[in-house]
Amino acid sequence: MTFFLFNLLNGLQLSMLIFLMAIGLTVIFGLMDILNLAHGAFYMVGAYFGYVVFQMVGSFWVALLVAPLLPLILGFILQYFVLQPLIDRGRSAHLDMALLTFGLLFFTIGLIDLIFFEMLGLTFMSIDKPAGLESYVDIGTFYPAYRLFIIAIGLLVALVVWLLLERTVIGAVVRAGVDDREMVRAMGVNVYAVFASVFALGCGLAGLAGVVAGAELSINIDMGVQILIPTLVVVVLGGLGSVKGCFIGSLIVGMAETMSQAYVPVLALFATYMLLAIMLIFRPQGFFGRTPKTV
Amino acid sequence: MEQTREDSWRPDSDDDESRHDPLFRIAAADRRNFLLVSAVGLAFLVVLPLVVGEYYVSLLSEILIFGILVSGVNLLLGYTGLVSLGHASFMGLGAYVTAVLAALLGYPVWISMLASMVISLVIAYAVGLLSVRTKGVQFLLITLAFGQMFHAIAEKTRYTGGDDGMTNIPRVDLSFFGLDANEDHVFYFFVLLCFAVSILILRMIVDSPFGRSLVGIRENEKRMLAMGYSTFPYKALAFGVSGMLAGLAGCLWVQHSFFVNPHIMTWQMSGEALLMVIIGGSRHFYGPLLGAAFYVLAKDFLSDITDAYLMFFGLLFVFVVAFFHGGLAGFAAKIGERLQQGRGRS
Repeated sequence: MTFFLFNLLNGLQLSMLIFLMAIGLTVIFGLMDILNLAHGAFYMVGAYFGYVVFQMVGSFWVALLVAPLLPLILGFILQYFVLQPLIDRGRSAHLDMALLTFGLLFFTIGLIDLIFFEMLGLTFMSIDKPAGLESYVDIGTFYPAYRLFIIAIGLLVALVVWLLLERTVIGAVVRAGVDDREMVRAMGVNVYAVFASVFALGCGLAGLAGVVAGAELSINIDMGVQILIPTLVVVVLGGLGSVKGCFIGSLIVGMAETMSQAYVPVLALFATYMLLAIMLIFRPQGFFGRTPKTV
Repeated sequence: MEQTREDSWRPDSDDDESRHDPLFRIAAADRRNFLLVSAVGLAFLVVLPLVVGEYYVSLLSEILIFGILVSGVNLLLGYTGLVSLGHASFMGLGAYVTAVLAALLGYPVWISMLASMVISLVIAYAVGLLSVRTKGVQFLLITLAFGQMFHAIAEKTRYTGGDDGMTNIPRVDLSFFGLDANEDHVFYFFVLLCFAVSILILRMIVDSPFGRSLVGIRENEKRMLAMGYSTFPYKALAFGVSGMLAGLAGCLWVQHSFFVNPHIMTWQMSGEALLMVIIGGSRHFYGPLLGAAFYVLAKDFLSDITDAYLMFFGLLFVFVVAFFHGGLAGFAAKIGERLQQGRGRS
């Protein structure tokens, strides 16, 4: 029973990490049709910049607040000054942008490798957990407090994002944009500003996930790619631009990965991909997505 | 513009207008230049290894092997308009089948090669049947999922050495012809033979009604459906053929390097194949080959300086996608056109 509880919490922790990534990706994909494969790169930027800030200031909390700003700003610049102009010049939002951001992911991995490994000689790094969260909590079994903190952050972000999207005017604009971009534009909304802001926020959240993960998992060169694939699965499972779908999708993927690892290790590596393949074959629009209007 | 492109198939469409259509122009130029380029290229590839050193012969083999892989990828990407992020798994499949049959079970290498091609064709066709129900980004994701599953199988299978892979894979036995494939020059010419045959077959496919239908699917799948083509089998077969070529590349690769591990099946590898195709130019028959050559040579050059060569490729990839859709081949074609125009005027 305690083994199950332990795994349940681990699964929840992973789910929340994936959720932080996936929520940005799914809203971006739903709103502007851009499958941002560079999302993993922003996660890495968050983690590495978090490490730098942590080394300079020595405080986890400062790193947690400051580090997501860099991916946020970079995300804004990327969308507003690079991707959108290209789409306006006739590049297909769908495929070209997926390829372009894929190249960007390669570039970021290479750049980080160059700076941190070749120039500084660092391979596996980690941010120290903040005081009070490095201990274990007794819940029948001893469970790391920091992982509970990750779960709390995930739930908090989920709540804030849900409120923002479902209960504010900005959220209404974004939801309307997911449904019909042209109409929103026709109603006088500056969609480019909305696009870039949403893109930036998504990247900021990816960066936040990076910092949070940096204190629990190690910061290394493969981290961006490792988290990207479960994130993509969530986007497919949950459907486009749906907070609820994204949350449930994250839970499914996080649990599937953790539980298969704990109980059926043979399946561990396949679980996520099988979910993805089955989903794409039988219900490509996701559990909560609507069938796309145009192809 | 869009109108011209869609109407250019009509026999009665204005000749002058269709000549302005980039696709028409490229296709015509392709036909005209194919034989010339192939002959010159082949002569070049035969002579070159005789004048350069051993190390470069090995690099050339690498280029040709990747050339087979990316030409196959381009049948999907350039001709059918489907972006697959899982082709490394078919390369790995070919490599592993060859390795298992030749090194573990002791079959002759040429039988292993045939077997690996047949198996990659069948499995790629099956994966294709499931995958081509989707398109665009969904297709990219589903091929990624299948690719990762194959990678996981390779990593988990103890029989083939798990994560460490297998070593001491024999090369093809050419003693019947009095040759030893362990010598790099001999192996190079063997690879060149496989390469030339693959390219020839691929060209025949591209020029066949089947190949034309693929281009039709790329340009306007709905119209193809309306014309009575059932597009799924076409796309699945294209996927199968391109998987088979990837398998052939894999079984040559494993002989070239004498070992195999799951790393050649990662999605980074699939991504690098896409990189080669797009940098080379996906709308040109020989574009991907240029990309492969560029990739292998630049990687060789860069890895002397830094391990972070991916940084440069990533950046180059971004620039090609963003500003230069034609890639290297498109660039070359444009320069050729300028020269011709200049000559025409003077």
